[in-house]
Amino acid sequence: MHIMEGFLPVKHAIGWSVASAPFVAYGLYSINRRIKENPEQRMLLGVAAAFTFVLSALKMPSVTGSCSHPTGTGLGAILFGPAAMAPIGMVVLLFQAILLAHGGLTTLGANIFSMAIVGPFAATAIYRLAKAMKLSFGISVFLAASLADLLTYVTTSAQLALAFPDPAGGFAASFAKFAAVFAVTQIPLAISEGLLTVVVFNALARFNPQELKEMNVVTVREVQV
Amino acid sequence: MLIEQSAYSNRWRQVSPAAKGIFSLCGMVAAFAAASPGTALLVALIMTAASISGAGIPLLRYLRVAAPALFFLLASGLSLLISLDLGASTLGVSLHPAEPELLRIARVCCRSLACLAALLFLTLTTPLPDIISLLRRCKLPDTLLDLMTLCYRTLFVLSEAIHETITAQSARLGYATFAISLRSMGGLVGNLIVQVWQRSQALHLAALARNSDGALRFLENPHDNTSRNIFLAAASGSLVVALALILP
Repeated sequence: MHIMEGFLPVKHAIGWSVASAPFVAYGLYSINRRIKENPEQRMLLGVAAAFTFVLSALKMPSVTGSCSHPTGTGLGAILFGPAAMAPIGMVVLLFQAILLAHGGLTTLGANIFSMAIVGPFAATAIYRLAKAMKLSFGISVFLAASLADLLTYVTTSAQLALAFPDPAGGFAASFAKFAAVFAVTQIPLAISEGLLTVVVFNALARFNPQELKEMNVVTVREVQV
Repeated sequence: MLIEQSAYSNRWRQVSPAAKGIFSLCGMVAAFAAASPGTALLVALIMTAASISGAGIPLLRYLRVAAPALFFLLASGLSLLISLDLGASTLGVSLHPAEPELLRIARVCCRSLACLAALLFLTLTTPLPDIISLLRRCKLPDTLLDLMTLCYRTLFVLSEAIHETITAQSARLGYATFAISLRSMGGLVGNLIVQVWQRSQALHLAALARNSDGALRFLENPHDNTSRNIFLAAASGSLVVALALILP
């Protein structure tokens, strides 16, 4: 769900970069604070960036039979916090552009905004909301991961629609068009990713309860309830 | 990763990353400055020629690297061609937009192609550690550079771990059906998360054992004729930009 290199007009490319900059700056500030309190967080977040990169290269089984790649925004936001995901996402998107020619440098700002800002913040908000509503852990994680994926793709569609409004129907028609084109792949992907994220936490609770406890992210009891 | 292989084995491997970065940046500026699709295509051709005949990237490998992005561009271009009219009494979907609109779509696609060629020029000739050291010289925050350095150094370790796990799981029919695939992949990612924690702890201990004081710094590779190459890259890059500005 990346916008391709050079696809956005120059004003939009700069605009989205300016919009993403404060989030990345705040993310760096929060990472620096975390490192000052716990120096081992420096290594953890670096390895987390590599984890997110390899995760996005995995071929995930999709409900429609086709293969898609997970975005890892929901999982990353729950594990490492939404603020840290903006700089981590920036590094991952930059690496995807440089190592895989996927995405681009001129569209980095727009891609950061949809995938490293909207996705993780939405995932955290939905996860907290679901927990406040006393929904079970599995349903909370499923909703957080799949809705974060959907919101990411809705944001990308809006970015493209803003850049290329339809000559006849304007922004709304263009948004409907891009959303419909992406829906074919993104809705099955969101469901698969939601299921996968739940299975990941179940696997952790079952096979690595000690490590899950040491990570101090969620408790085994939370997962099992 | 094909791009990595080329970045380490091309003819311009020893040229300063600043020079290659400047030339690539000029390519992107020229792509945006180009007024017509034809001019943008010319910029794309110049950047591709620089990669293939200049840096000596084999044509076949270049095409293999560019293929997924080109397919993506085709899909994006086609989605621009469809026009929706939500205001009409019957939902109007047309596939043949007016001529000025076609020209605009052609300009977007050609600009994207030129930018892609400029990006590929940089990535196929410059290894990532060189790009990180270039970004360090551009005064990017140390924390971000540390994240990049650690990410680059561990992504191959994690890729290897994934590859081995998938092989072991597949040998036990771990990806036979959708439900089993989901369970196998859940186990794989869960295991990887544990590895992320354990490996980062080990790295932290290793850094402490070497009197680490925080930021990760590495010696930079020496490059040949840095100032001459930067001058040459800036001059030829400016020429490409000027060409894009002059041509209609």
